[in-house]
Amino acid sequence: MVSMLNPGLDLRICQRHARNAHASPAVASHGNINPLNPTSETSLGMVQKTTASKGGIKFSTPWRSSGLAAAGFMAGISGVCAMQVFSGGGNGCGGWNGGGFSGGGGGDGGFWHDILQHILLFANAEDVDRNYDSHGLKIGSPVSVTKLKTDKRYKITGVDLRDARSGTNIAPDDPFYELVTMKPGGIFTAAQFQAELDNLTNCGMFERVTMDALPQSDGTVRMQVTFAESEWQHSESVRCLNVSSLPQTKPPEVDIMSLTEVERETFMKQQESDYKERVESAKPVILPSEVEREISAWLKQEARVTARVLQRIRDQIQKWYHDQGFACAQVVNFGNLNSNEIVCEIVEGEITKLVVQFQDKMGLPCEGNTDMRIVERELPKQLQPGYIFNIEAGKKALRTINGLGLFSNIEVNPRPDEKDESGIVVEIKLKELDQKTAEVSTEWSITPGSSGWPSLSSIQPGGSVTFEHRNIHGLNRSLFGNVTSSNLLNPQDDVGFKMEYVHPYLDGVDNPRNRVLKGSCFNSRKLSPVFTGGPGFDEVPTVWVDRAGLKANITENFTRQSKFTYGLVFEEVTTRDETSAICTNGCRTLPSGAFSMDGPPTTLSGTGMDRVGFFQANITRDTTSFKNGTPVGARYIFQVDQGLCVGSKHPLFNRHQFTATHFVQLKKVEEGAKIGPPSVLVLHGRYGGCIGDLAAYDAFTLGGPYSVRGYNMGELGACRRILELAGELRLPILKTHTYGFVEYGTDLGSSKDVRGNPTEYFRRAGGGMSYGVGVKLGLIRAEYAQDCNTGSGALFVRFGERF
Amino acid sequence: MMASSQPREWTGLQQFPVATQNALHALLEKLRKEDVNSLTVLVLGKGGVGKSSTVNSLVGERVAAVSAFQSETIRTVMCSRVRAGFTLNIIDTPGLVEGLFVNDHALDTIRRSLLNKTIDVMIYVDRLDGYRVDNLDRQVVRAIARSFGPQIWKIAVLGLTHAQLSPPDGISYSDFVERRSNALIEMIQKEVVFKKGDPQIPIALIENSGRCSTNSGGEKVLPDGSVWLPKLVEHIVDIATGSAEPIVIDKKLIDGPNPNKRGRVFVPLIFLFQYLFIMKPMVYLMKRDMESEVRRRPSWEVLAGQKEESPSAVEPVQTEEY
Repeated sequence: MVSMLNPGLDLRICQRHARNAHASPAVASHGNINPLNPTSETSLGMVQKTTASKGGIKFSTPWRSSGLAAAGFMAGISGVCAMQVFSGGGNGCGGWNGGGFSGGGGGDGGFWHDILQHILLFANAEDVDRNYDSHGLKIGSPVSVTKLKTDKRYKITGVDLRDARSGTNIAPDDPFYELVTMKPGGIFTAAQFQAELDNLTNCGMFERVTMDALPQSDGTVRMQVTFAESEWQHSESVRCLNVSSLPQTKPPEVDIMSLTEVERETFMKQQESDYKERVESAKPVILPSEVEREISAWLKQEARVTARVLQRIRDQIQKWYHDQGFACAQVVNFGNLNSNEIVCEIVEGEITKLVVQFQDKMGLPCEGNTDMRIVERELPKQLQPGYIFNIEAGKKALRTINGLGLFSNIEVNPRPDEKDESGIVVEIKLKELDQKTAEVSTEWSITPGSSGWPSLSSIQPGGSVTFEHRNIHGLNRSLFGNVTSSNLLNPQDDVGFKMEYVHPYLDGVDNPRNRVLKGSCFNSRKLSPVFTGGPGFDEVPTVWVDRAGLKANITENFTRQSKFTYGLVFEEVTTRDETSAICTNGCRTLPSGAFSMDGPPTTLSGTGMDRVGFFQANITRDTTSFKNGTPVGARYIFQVDQGLCVGSKHPLFNRHQFTATHFVQLKKVEEGAKIGPPSVLVLHGRYGGCIGDLAAYDAFTLGGPYSVRGYNMGELGACRRILELAGELRLPILKTHTYGFVEYGTDLGSSKDVRGNPTEYFRRAGGGMSYGVGVKLGLIRAEYAQDCNTGSGALFVRFGERF
Repeated sequence: MMASSQPREWTGLQQFPVATQNALHALLEKLRKEDVNSLTVLVLGKGGVGKSSTVNSLVGERVAAVSAFQSETIRTVMCSRVRAGFTLNIIDTPGLVEGLFVNDHALDTIRRSLLNKTIDVMIYVDRLDGYRVDNLDRQVVRAIARSFGPQIWKIAVLGLTHAQLSPPDGISYSDFVERRSNALIEMIQKEVVFKKGDPQIPIALIENSGRCSTNSGGEKVLPDGSVWLPKLVEHIVDIATGSAEPIVIDKKLIDGPNPNKRGRVFVPLIFLFQYLFIMKPMVYLMKRDMESEVRRRPSWEVLAGQKEESPSAVEPVQTEEY
């Protein structure tokens, strides 16, 4: 027989795109990461849509009984992938790290069209009295839905699908059940039954469908749907077409049956050539031909093409798209049925428009303060019109915009284009953070008075004042200030302050090069590890190093982790003893109990206070990437402080250090959330040296959790040049890893080149080795380290990573 | 800094037995002939080995407080004695060992207190009745060399105190002395790296105890019958008149070379080197990383951009005729 290219026989799985389909975004709470679920059940869609398109039918389903479920439903059916990030409002910085993606499980966008209508329907149905009427029919004998009373409301207890050809009920897990919107427990009127039946008849899957009600003894009815599946001729292969730019095929408006034989012939011919033209004008798909071949391979085996076969083809094609992240791609039509080659029409979800919109606190569109170019430069080009929408591009946009730290809420929201049925409009909704924030906090601290007990005068009020002005001129410039004091009555004793101005896009917002200028003034107080005793020399009086100064630097980012920072630092360094008095030399207690004050000079000038200005540069080249939560790759850091003869005693120096860390993956592993990290060998080396004037507080120290583990900070020495070598073997256990390490540090004989030789003065070894084992538990490392100098070991618990 | 008194007349000399006096006078005469009219002797050693007692024995007076059970000397003490235009300076020092470590700090204090002095002879004091040479001894020897320069060992006399002892069974006194002194000398030579042609460090046996045996002349004698004090002075005189240069303790020796000065002039060159050969290449590599990151795109990016970039990559549509 001549193949009948009759579009009238086309299986229309879905076509109508909503006019006013504003999808409701899914809502995610801050910090949660709900992976997007692009492959939500597409097959579920088909008939629900058709039902809805009929409109006006009230039905209730059990899963919308609570508001929460309804929200979930909205997310699920929105057909639009909504992604959102909520950051903790207020001080944004802290909250940004986690970010948060949430996905409304979109995917089957096209199947869900009249969503607004849907939701309204549900809303109406919600209010409906749950009572139902008894069927009043003879129990046991099936009644056609057409014969049911129109004024009654029937409660259904079950739905059975019966294949008319085989005469048996199909298995309850059959995908056909997804076509039926009636769910057990629902209450329906005869009109609704009729609508459901019409839907099933028109969905194209069946040649004929009948629906009967089986009255039950408790007054409810059990629905029995008898169907005969549509069938077409055997086909050899399948071909996929991109019909994005083509108008949707419409069912013929003429009634074929009313035509004469000749008319029908010409009509068919016309249809045939129309279709051929359509096929030829279609654009290619991004779907690789392997998928087509794969489908053709099993299609050949099928004796007939049935609705199920088409469903399977559609599922397979859509699965490929959704697996690749093209969440808006869908099979919209099958053509050329009854021929050797089935044509599968695909809408891939090409982006037609990109809209960035600011929202106020109430979620209403508003004028944003942020310069649009700042947002635009963060958007991946794959979100620009002409590209096929991909969930990963959406996620990337979310990530990069989130990285700006300007918004409390970000949504990336694709929705069907109203003008172009197959197009996607990507909407980005941004909620800006407050531009100015200020915070004052106070606290009381009670310190023991002279008698050892707290007295009224020993209660100290403390507090901090923080202010932040972010996004100045809408260009993401920010000013941050913070003053802290633990004693407000006598604030000169202990005031910590920091003020920072950040100026991004130094080369202009339109320049792809992104350099950030940062200026800050600061102070800090740290315990100097240079003045630390060696083993058995614990009683070393502490020396505090106070730094206060100005800093201006420029950071240029290369890859996400690699950057180059350079700038100038001017600081005043003061060394103080425990009583906050300026001290000029390190001191120690002699075994005789005498106090010796003639230790190494703490400062370069010898007065206990140095002023110094220098150039500082830091290059971090980080090529590590995370494999199942553990870094693999290499990291190199070079840092140099170059003295400029500015300051006390005109210091000229070059203090440099080079760090190299390699994370060598020992075994290949699959990547995935459930798989543990691979075995990794970490090799680490660090060299530091200083030529020229070297103050004691700038000497390199050996020992400590980030130098040679198993020793205290600075326990091994303070020197002019250091070399550290470390190796760590990480072996996965469950989802975390255990590790063994060996570390070695040496002063390269340079301790004597630090004035006063603090290494020798405090009886330190000048070098040492350690080894140990440990286990990583989340952020915490628990490790046992053996100190090779004294041969003793100890257990340590540390936060964060060593390398 | 240092407790020292105005040079006094060496009255102690007259307290010595006549034979000893004669011997010492002969030695002083020798010095005078060499035109040496002052001699500075530095006494160093671990704590409690008998440095102060040796000083007392040498001068013949109780110039330094000594006690049997603890180290009394906490400061460097110099005593000067004049006899017929000749000045003898003897510098007594605190012990160099504290706990089980060399007290570098003490050594440094000693050195500082000797500023602008010239050391003619150094007596390194240890006990004869010690049985082994341990690590601490090595450290002390090294520390002395480090503080005063290795040259100080060229003007050294090894003084072994507590020389009146009965050696363990089966060893004769002379054997014991030889073994003990050889062990120490070898150790010193090894630690300080002596050259072949260098003169041997002379050994002087010392017995400061008041119960020391005396000979008929009232001179203190050792178990082998020798009189030790003139012998010690002889060694001192020998070194003072010998070829070895005395050690001048000046500011430079005390402070050592200033490490902050070393290489300072090269700092600009070093920075230039770092800029050209470390920073520039690293920035270049990072730029390359950035480019390769763009090339190594995830599959979705490749697919999404497929149409725009290479339309030919898409398989041409095949049309089949029926």
